[in-house]
Amino acid sequence: MDFVVQQFVTGLSIGSILLLVALGLSIIYGSMGVINMAHGEFIMLGAYGTWALNAAFGLSLFPSLIVVFLGVGLIGALIELGVIRFLYKRTLDTILATWGIGVMLQQAIRLAAGGELRYVQMPPSLSDSVSVLGTDVSAYRVFIFLAVAVLFGVTWFILYRTSAGMKLRAVVQDPAIASSFGIDAGRVRTLTFAYGAGLAGLAGALVAPLKSVSPEMGASYVVDAFFVVVLGGVQSLFGTVASSFILGQLTGALAFWQNDTVAKALVLVVIVVLIRFRPQGLFVTRVRT
Amino acid sequence: MNRANEKTSRWQTSRGTMQFMVYAAVCLAILLLPLVVQDDFMLNRIARYLVLAMVAMALSLSWGYAGILNLGQAMSFGIGSYCMAMALKLRTVPVHTGSDGLPDFMVWNNVTQLPWFWEPFWSLPFAILAGILLPALAAALLGWFIFRGRVTGVFVAIITLATMIVLNLVIIDQQQYTGGFNGITDLAQLELFGVTFDAYSSSTYYLVAISLTLSLFFALAITRSKAGLILQAIRDQEQRVRFFGYDVALFKTTIFAISAAIAGLAGMLYTIVMEFASPTFLSVQLSLSIVIWCAVGGRQSLLGAMLGAILVAGVQGALSESETFLDTWTLIMGGLFVLIVLFLPNGLASLIDLGRRRVRTPKSPDNRVAHSAELKEDRT
Repeated sequence: MDFVVQQFVTGLSIGSILLLVALGLSIIYGSMGVINMAHGEFIMLGAYGTWALNAAFGLSLFPSLIVVFLGVGLIGALIELGVIRFLYKRTLDTILATWGIGVMLQQAIRLAAGGELRYVQMPPSLSDSVSVLGTDVSAYRVFIFLAVAVLFGVTWFILYRTSAGMKLRAVVQDPAIASSFGIDAGRVRTLTFAYGAGLAGLAGALVAPLKSVSPEMGASYVVDAFFVVVLGGVQSLFGTVASSFILGQLTGALAFWQNDTVAKALVLVVIVVLIRFRPQGLFVTRVRT
Repeated sequence: MNRANEKTSRWQTSRGTMQFMVYAAVCLAILLLPLVVQDDFMLNRIARYLVLAMVAMALSLSWGYAGILNLGQAMSFGIGSYCMAMALKLRTVPVHTGSDGLPDFMVWNNVTQLPWFWEPFWSLPFAILAGILLPALAAALLGWFIFRGRVTGVFVAIITLATMIVLNLVIIDQQQYTGGFNGITDLAQLELFGVTFDAYSSSTYYLVAISLTLSLFFALAITRSKAGLILQAIRDQEQRVRFFGYDVALFKTTIFAISAAIAGLAGMLYTIVMEFASPTFLSVQLSLSIVIWCAVGGRQSLLGAMLGAILVAGVQGALSESETFLDTWTLIMGGLFVLIVLFLPNGLASLIDLGRRRVRTPKSPDNRVAHSAELKEDRT
């Protein structure tokens, strides 16, 4: 019984990180149909931002979070205004354009900060481990779990309980009619993209203390985010949560049996097979196009 | 009306013949190049670009003609290159390998027996077949799940990319069987029909050039066939083709697999030219490069994609002499790619096409097609 609980807590921890890295991607795709290939690079930017703030100004993790969210969000807004705005009618091409942007961001960071690995200090108050349901878990992972819960709550609140969220949902349903009601569709999209980018930046800042920071770190996180989006579908926020939870548990169990990489490969196989039978994702009713 | 039709069809035939002539001329130039370039080092370099051109052409076949944006094209390329590397590794003179012909990196990783999936690679014909069929089978299997599930567009792109990244991770992880991060090095030279293919010799160059020519005309034949027309129809209006009763998933899976097979062949040639195989052959960077070559040259033109690869990879190769410039090059490349996507979605090939159309046929049937494509874009 102890073992099952332990596995469950591990899976929960993995799932919370999956949700963290997928949330921004899922919001941008769900509202604009744009798969943001630079998502991994936004995560990377967030991680580097945290590192740079610490190295240059001695800022610790918590105050950095705000700066990183605003900074990466601003970069996202600029990218939407400069490039993506012109490609809404060619969704397949947005993949290419954002991929190109991702490469540029990665290379710019490599030139500016060097290609070597960087490390971000964990806040001292969170470096111990705590006991959850009889299992020892590092306090930082518990913190991530709580942070993700808060982020998700805030996102849900913005989407469904504020006028900005209502405007966004209107633009998603029918941009033309939304515009004729006086909603500035372009502005709503810019802000949404910026918000998604900001979330990716936060994700990067939060995962930075767990692993080393490098210009290439985005690639592995973006694959995780893809998995979540493909399995969950993107029409509902709760699909993303449920899919993160399932993938977290599955990865945890498979990684216990084999290693992390093999677990990832097996998860991919499961997802590909599921696509055949539930192409629209597990938690939506509309077919994706 | 009848006369006009006749005129149109005649114009189309002459255009088809011209396309054929241009393709043949380019291939001839490639085949005759060793008469001009005598330097073996240079020949090896050009052979490398030709291999890359081949894999770009394969992507154009699936992306440009069938609308399947395969971001994991390098996966097929990598599988092919590993198949060839495994066979050549087993042929290395015993000095480089452990006891009983065990590859050196296995000895270093305390593997005592050749794993079962290495055994068949003692046979060169098997390796060559596997290098083509394995990528094709992998693509067919993946395609069957994706296309039968009627997943299209961006999801095909991210699933193919994710699959490639995962395979890359597995290869690096399973170091004792794959050589891990270092890949498979210290290979023997390929011997086929009594010819030794030294990487730095004209024999390897001809092997590459002939393979490229054959696969280019094979691909051209597919695009000219009825199946090629159906594929283009699927690209433009998938639902309508389905209503006509065609098995859309079958067509897509088939072209996906053929494209993978050509990429696998290119991967095998790459191992011969580079004299090693490494996980970078199925990396995100290479896959992105392939897409960029296609986009720059023109995704809807086989020759355009090919020349795009030679042009971009050639410039990169020329610049790679200086380290600092190579760094900025990646930045420039990314920027160029974004600009091309924004302003020239059909690449450099569309410039030539556009010019010809303006000069010769102000009201050609192609214009009508282009017009209806615009209409469709407005609607979506």
